[in-house]
Amino acid sequence: LPGLDPLSAVWVGIICLVFSSRLSTMKAASICPNDQTGCHLLPLANLFDRVIQHSARMHGISDDLHSEFELYFLPSKNQIGRVSRNCHTSTILTPNGKENAQRIAREELAEIILKLLVAWRDPLWHFHQSMSQHDEFTNFSSNKSLEMSDMVHELRKGVLKVVEKMQMLGIISNSVGDTGSPEALLTSDSAEWRFMKDYDLLYCFRRDSNKIQNYLKILKCRIVPKHGC
Amino acid sequence: MRKAEGGILLRLLLLFMLHATGTSYSPPGKPTLTRCRSPEKETFTCWWEPGSDGGLPTKYALYYRKENSDKVFECPDYRTAGENSCFFNKNDTSVWVNYNITVVATNALGRTFSDPVDIDVVYIVKPNPPENLALTVLWDQTWPYLHVSWESPQKADTRSGWITLIYELRIKLEDEDEWEEHPAGQQKTFNIFSLCSGGKYLVQVRCKPDHGFWSEWSSSQYVKVPEYFNREKSMWVLAVIFSAFALFIITWLIHMNCHNLKQCILPSVPGPKIKGFDEQLLKDGKSMDAFSSLVGANFPPTTTNYEDLLVEYLEVFVPEERELMLEETKELHNDSLKFENSTSDCDSGRGSCDSHTLLIDKSEEEKGQQPDQQSSEIKMDGKGQDEEDKYLTCSPENVDSHQLSSEKVKTWPSSFSPLPEYSPIPLQQPNSHETSKQPCLSDSLFAAGPLPSHFPHLGHNTKDEIGSSYWQFGISNKQLHLLHQQMEAHQQLQAHKNASVSNIGHLQLPSVRFTEYVEVQRVSDQNMVILHPVPSHPETSYPDWHQTEEYSKVKCVDNDNGLLLLQREGVEEGMDMCSYEELPESDPSKTTNTTFTSPCSQPAPSVQDERVVGGYVETSVFTLPTY
Repeated sequence: LPGLDPLSAVWVGIICLVFSSRLSTMKAASICPNDQTGCHLLPLANLFDRVIQHSARMHGISDDLHSEFELYFLPSKNQIGRVSRNCHTSTILTPNGKENAQRIAREELAEIILKLLVAWRDPLWHFHQSMSQHDEFTNFSSNKSLEMSDMVHELRKGVLKVVEKMQMLGIISNSVGDTGSPEALLTSDSAEWRFMKDYDLLYCFRRDSNKIQNYLKILKCRIVPKHGC
Repeated sequence: MRKAEGGILLRLLLLFMLHATGTSYSPPGKPTLTRCRSPEKETFTCWWEPGSDGGLPTKYALYYRKENSDKVFECPDYRTAGENSCFFNKNDTSVWVNYNITVVATNALGRTFSDPVDIDVVYIVKPNPPENLALTVLWDQTWPYLHVSWESPQKADTRSGWITLIYELRIKLEDEDEWEEHPAGQQKTFNIFSLCSGGKYLVQVRCKPDHGFWSEWSSSQYVKVPEYFNREKSMWVLAVIFSAFALFIITWLIHMNCHNLKQCILPSVPGPKIKGFDEQLLKDGKSMDAFSSLVGANFPPTTTNYEDLLVEYLEVFVPEERELMLEETKELHNDSLKFENSTSDCDSGRGSCDSHTLLIDKSEEEKGQQPDQQSSEIKMDGKGQDEEDKYLTCSPENVDSHQLSSEKVKTWPSSFSPLPEYSPIPLQQPNSHETSKQPCLSDSLFAAGPLPSHFPHLGHNTKDEIGSSYWQFGISNKQLHLLHQQMEAHQQLQAHKNASVSNIGHLQLPSVRFTEYVEVQRVSDQNMVILHPVPSHPETSYPDWHQTEEYSKVKCVDNDNGLLLLQREGVEEGMDMCSYEELPESDPSKTTNTTFTSPCSQPAPSVQDERVVGGYVETSVFTLPTY
């Protein structure tokens, strides 16, 4: 540029250099200046916390609904007929104790969680439908069932995100696929839950939501132990 | 086979023996499972309550079945958890599995089953109390606070996320009975403030899993708070002392001024008195005598001197010696005056309001017709030159439009502007007084602009002769303002109103004596226009009428600075308010329409019912034009 003073050009050049260097350093300078142990995992820990909170809420709702049902429909707690209950998710093998849960691989645990969430998507939706049709249920209960049904969806998405993040960070392998297609999992017993009574459905879901919450907590404390475990 | 035979034989023998001794034995009573608890969600214990043993040694056994399996297992450990208990260790415990448990009592005579119980380990967790409770007193500047810390029970594994615990602590002073509880969430520390100086505190803590039972309270820990100066407390003490002192002073003051205050707050109420009524007579029992005094010459009142009711009057001062002849049309409907009777007391501030002090704007022609008549031209000049076109007609709307200009006569439209609560048709005065709550204000509209030249009311022959004077209208009504209009160039009529406009109503005479128009007698030395009423009907003369009263009723002031004194009460339908005016030569009958058109022909609604008042000017300030 004819009008550009060589001195000003130098200044501009210097400024540009400084700026670009700053930018490059800024990229590297994230939340953790010194890369303390586990610091880079903070976002993952936050994600986990959110998902766990979500699952806790889901379990709370299912617990409330179950108690309501028990109040109105089952006067006596210890009916012999109970034992014959068979949840449709019993085909999914889940760890039944602490040691078992800690022993299995992280990927497997994550997959179990996802399988459970997928398995409950349709039954809950149908449960909500049947609830809203019955007049004896209050609006409150009907809203709860809808909320429950929605939460299963949301929670599944959340868990997928967490898995994704973990895979990105290299914590788990990529073997945990998106088991999003329920048909693949439940081809054999897709119709089984339709024959379950509403109360049994609630009982099974209450338990399964507790499982999901607990597995998530275990997973979190295995992967990001320093953040609130 | 043999064994069975042997067993049966043995039993029979036993029965025989027992029978021989004479005691009664029975199979055991039914045991009951009282509770099952798991301290860490990895093992659990069940306790039962035995029933009667039937007099024979009884053995208890616990059997369980797992969910969806028919295989029955017996309790693996009867001893670890004590008497009448069954302990399930880690290997035997499966979480999220439904256990169906039964207890069986067996004695020589039989066995009895308890009711089965379904449990799921997840929902029966009751942890051990928290451990290592530690109390420390720390200092926040000058104030101490208590720092409490603890640890989760050993067995509960919170580290791996298997169990999540929430905590709660409670604190109390040593000699108190009530505990103060504080939920602490998942944290393991807590701070307590507001401690009593030198007090000894007890602290306990407990925990609970997110779905389960509260643990027992931990053992108490003691702490002694050191002495410290509680500034807050001393501040309260000071405040109390100060307020007590202030209260004392106030009480003393009240006491000193007791008498005065009494008068102020509780003024003495005059006892009821009826004139001529002697209470003593009544007390004595002579009721007839007592009442007789009432029935007398004075009751019921037959005549009243209405004159006495007149309290206020309007004095009109004309600065220069002018005589304004005010004539009013004779055409007044008498019946319109009746409303005047309705309320004798205009003091109440209700509308007198039927007084219409409207200065009617005369048409230009009229002006031309009787130039001589315009002896006094009272000009209400609304505003500056631009305003000249707008004159206040007796309609309230126009009134507002005028602004005060320094050099011109300031009309004060606002004073006559209809009050907000007024009906928008000020001139329309229904017969009822109620509507005319506002005094005469609404009535007093005046037209700005030149008064009609033919303004006849003023008996002046030349307006020029009217010295500068100004009408000063004071209205005590809060909505009105005293406007002074001073026009150096203009002559002004000065009218003093001694009382509030609202009192003008007093001038309303009862029907017996309505004077419907006034006539200017003369203009006094002090530039006062002295008006006298001109009785419309000779037969109804009002000798008592104060001939010397100076008042007139101005209906409006028209553009030509003519003061229109209104008097018309009659309803002339379709007639503008301003359409009233008196031409000295006009006959009464003609009062109506002709002359009043122009300035007063505004949107002002026709007056249905003008109350004619016997002359008083509700004035507005206006100036006489100089001629």
